[in-house]
Amino acid sequence: MFTITQREDGEIVLTGRFDASRVAEADAVLDRVTTTSRVDMKNLDYISSLGLGILLKTQKRLKTSGNELILTNMNKLIRDVFRIARFDTIFRIEEE
Amino acid sequence: MEKDFRKSVAALDEVFAFLDGEFARHAPDPATSYALTLAVEEFFTNFVKYNPESDRDVTVGVRLEGDALLVYLVARDVNAFDVTATGPVDVSLSLEERKPGGLGIHLSRHMLDDVRYDYADRRSTIMLVKRLRQ
Repeated sequence: MFTITQREDGEIVLTGRFDASRVAEADAVLDRVTTTSRVDMKNLDYISSLGLGILLKTQKRLKTSGNELILTNMNKLIRDVFRIARFDTIFRIEEE
Repeated sequence: MEKDFRKSVAALDEVFAFLDGEFARHAPDPATSYALTLAVEEFFTNFVKYNPESDRDVTVGVRLEGDALLVYLVARDVNAFDVTATGPVDVSLSLEERKPGGLGIHLSRHMLDDVRYDYADRRSTIMLVKRLRQ
């Protein structure tokens, strides 16, 4: 089970398991993001390299216009994945 | 225990359900379950992407061997692709220079204790090894 939604305040909420079979679903939402946006990962249990690739693509696009994704409430396992991939150097990661 | 799955990304939910069941039986810590799941997804999707000439099922199996949990994937009637022979990914590159390719193999290598590859009779076998910490 995976969901990606964008709230009225612009915050993006990811829940469940973000795997290769959910790429199109995530792309459809993230492609519409044009300004700096927070991504709440509090209820995200899992992300794989394909999910990371979608976030990377979005971050690259947003940075060209001075915007970015800010990732929040990442669990320890996902934070370890970001650390190993060195994605913690290309995303701002915040705890709330 | 092992099980055959359609060689399709759409089969991933079934693969994960199988792994969840096996991990419930062997009770590894959450980090071990995560690492093995991520690696299985990576190599399963590689089989789907890089071997379109064969539609034969992919076997995924889990077994305990000594102090290690082993997960293996077997694809039949495929060309060789030695996942252990790929070069390292430079994760120190800037955002502009970064590309997502190879990241799954990089993560698998760093999160597991061993990744082995064997090819014989047009059959690729990938063995993922994660030692269980006491």
